[in-house]
Amino acid sequence: MMGGGFHVSHLAAMAAFAACVSVALAALARGTFPARFKYALLSLVLFLAIGVGIAWLMYPFSR
Amino acid sequence: MASDTPAIQKRPDAIAATALIVAIAGWIVPGLGHLLLGRWGRAVFLFLAVGGLALVGFAMRGELFARESGDPFGALGFFADACSGAFYFLPRVMHWAGPDVSRAAGDYGTRFLAAAGVVNLLGVLDACGIALGRKR
Repeated sequence: MMGGGFHVSHLAAMAAFAACVSVALAALARGTFPARFKYALLSLVLFLAIGVGIAWLMYPFSR
Repeated sequence: MASDTPAIQKRPDAIAATALIVAIAGWIVPGLGHLLLGRWGRAVFLFLAVGGLALVGFAMRGELFARESGDPFGALGFFADACSGAFYFLPRVMHWAGPDVSRAAGDYGTRFLAAAGVVNLLGVLDACGIALGRKR
């Protein structure tokens, strides 16, 4: 994996980034474990939804 | 004769020393600051998040910013990378192909590495806040 680098799709890279950052933000948030778990899920969904939304908005300008 | 301050209350210089130790430990190993404070849950998740970002960033052949970059954005990038502590020095001790930002994945990897440092910086500040009694 480390030798020549691995190839991931843009969506997979964004999902990996969103998952890691959501876990970190939820870990540092206040509240009970279930509340922070919900916060992590909400953060992940918002990351993905906003990322895909911005991608669609930029689509007309990509060519 | 009774004192207004409880006997178990820490002295301010001891609290500051604890916060400094926690900050340095949290910078070197992500999550170690929280672990020293007994917050093992936060420590584990923070380590996994920072480690995940850094390892994926290296695997995607992202680039670490040089110390002597000569421009403000490069300096900010170096600061962000250096905040990831032990993960900043990981490429020096393990076999790694080196950066390749000619592909989109390498460019993404560079952002992953910077994000790992920024997330760890948030963790260090959180641990300091707990050590100083400003956070719970």
